[in-house]
Amino acid sequence: MKKIIGLSCILISSVFANQQLDDMKEIIKQQQLRLELLEKKIEINEESKFAKNQDASSSFSQKAYLPDIAFIANMSALARDVENEKYSNYAIDGFINKAGEIPFNKKRGFNLNYGEMEISSSVDPYFDIDAALHIEKEGLHIGELYITTRALPYGLRLKSGKFKSEFGRINSKHQHSWDFSAIPLLFEAYFGAGGLGDEGLQLQYTPPIDTFVQLGFEAMQGGNGRSFGDTDKNNLNIVYLKSSFDLNDEISLLYGGTWMSGKNRDGDTDIYGGDLTIKYIIDSYSSLSWQSELLYRDKDIENETLKQAGLYSEVVFDIDQNWATGVRYDTLFKNIDNQPDDLNRYTAMLQYKPFEFSKIRLQYTYDKSKSFAGKREDIQEIMLGFTIESGAHGAHSF
Amino acid sequence: MKKILLITMLLTSYIFATIKVDTTYSTLGEVAKRVGGELVNVTILGSSKYDPHFIVPKPSLLSKLRRADLLIMNGGGLELGWLPPLLKSANNPKIQPSSIGFLDMSHYINFIDKPTSVSRSFGDVHAQGNPHYSTDPYVVISMAKAIEKKLSQIDPSNKKIYQTNLDKFLKEWDIYLEKLNTKMKTCNNKKVIQYHELFNYFLKRYDIQSYGNIEPLPGISPSSKHTIELIDNIKENNIKIILQDVYHEKKTASFIAQKTGAKVAIIPHEKKQ
Repeated sequence: MKKIIGLSCILISSVFANQQLDDMKEIIKQQQLRLELLEKKIEINEESKFAKNQDASSSFSQKAYLPDIAFIANMSALARDVENEKYSNYAIDGFINKAGEIPFNKKRGFNLNYGEMEISSSVDPYFDIDAALHIEKEGLHIGELYITTRALPYGLRLKSGKFKSEFGRINSKHQHSWDFSAIPLLFEAYFGAGGLGDEGLQLQYTPPIDTFVQLGFEAMQGGNGRSFGDTDKNNLNIVYLKSSFDLNDEISLLYGGTWMSGKNRDGDTDIYGGDLTIKYIIDSYSSLSWQSELLYRDKDIENETLKQAGLYSEVVFDIDQNWATGVRYDTLFKNIDNQPDDLNRYTAMLQYKPFEFSKIRLQYTYDKSKSFAGKREDIQEIMLGFTIESGAHGAHSF
Repeated sequence: MKKILLITMLLTSYIFATIKVDTTYSTLGEVAKRVGGELVNVTILGSSKYDPHFIVPKPSLLSKLRRADLLIMNGGGLELGWLPPLLKSANNPKIQPSSIGFLDMSHYINFIDKPTSVSRSFGDVHAQGNPHYSTDPYVVISMAKAIEKKLSQIDPSNKKIYQTNLDKFLKEWDIYLEKLNTKMKTCNNKKVIQYHELFNYFLKRYDIQSYGNIEPLPGISPSSKHTIELIDNIKENNIKIILQDVYHEKKTASFIAQKTGAKVAIIPHEKKQ
């Protein structure tokens, strides 16, 4: 009996073992098939690589190193109650005898103001390069071209080349990012319609403290003829201090002071002043900002010192992603003897942005600051302007 | 007196010992806090109240960047509109893209919705893909691992502590995910519309179908034509939920809800601060 049980046990186990073996065989067979299939696929792949002509177009490609290039264009349609010929010779009594170059919105009718190519790139771990090239009807004009350091220690940064001075609020900004299409009257009177940009060197220091403080020193050639103009050597020094704090999450304050000392053809020019900006951030797309700048100027001519001053104050309301509106008051409130000290200008604008990179602006200006052939005349102006920023355009600062 | 001096000295040395970490958004900040523990001091630059594309580049952010030892950003083009000028004038060589103290989290993320062609005529399209990955709770794991790696690189002497913090946090997160997964099971194959393609990573993770956006193109405000089409779309597909973010206008969503009977659900896109 025992034997029988033993035998049957062996038999059964061997049958089951056979069964298992068959299963295993089947699995191995299947896997072999899969392997063969995979091998074939790999072969086909390898062959196709050789069959195809090698694409050598990217062997020496440097596309990834191309600088960021943006193209900006600005144009306008304009109505003004002064004839073009007459307007191009305006004066601001006590400040400007004759209008120089009027780069934006010069004529009644249509103006293609400029195309601007903005190029910026990291050069290496140590330097960045930035350029703003104005393409005008008369030719190419270097608005800015400067190198900035990116790895200096102790919160220092050095900038060198031709650049817009970073004093105050509006001077370093380009026309396409202004809230109004003309530069403040004060800046036009002191530096011309393009603001103060010059060849030079800038050293900026940001201390490592909780409150934002930035100290800048700029040594410039002094090529700006309105206030300086003696370029025999680097004759203009600018010092500015900026600071900011947040009252709370929504309200930010930014303020600063400026002192510049340079030489004009007859003597020294000193300019000093300050700025204040308060911004109330309502939400992601809407804010209210109030920005003002004031500058005094002492300019030596022959035997006297001209003491003049002016300011602008603007309120801009960004209503939502698309709409913005604002008003600006400009005044030159201190002038030399026998010259008017009520040179004012009032500007209002309404702006529509279909998208971040395009902007249509309607602007009304009432200008009481200009005179023609010794006679003061009020000017009214309505402008419809169009600005586009295309390509790899960097973000605007605060 | 000596005691006080000693304590202040200890305190100051302790303050100086912490690694100052700036993160562009709050989810990154929270993960950095968990991984860094007491060894880091985290500052979040962009509040979760605001549109992550349009953080106001306040000068006060400059002083925060000026002192940072590590900057952790989202990447994928989300900070393009506000961070570069700040970084440029913060004068801090430690956190420049070429430095050790810079972490672009997008390098650790598998992007979805990669556009086949990129043009501004399609609106605010990001070439790298949809940058709003922080809405996927599983991404937090990658974030934590990447941050642990970076912190250990900056501060190798405390590598073990970061490792322990990471393990502990991941365990906690696993438990959270399990709970969330059970909850989310009921949402399988639900149909929604959203304002912006902000929740795509989250929706994909939990098999929720998005049938359209309130904005006609990324970054473009709603138009009446598009809204009417969307209302028809909602009725046709029997969609019950409109996912609204915290920062866009809510009028269009409630108008659509009123017309269709769909519900508006306001969902945060980053950890609430």
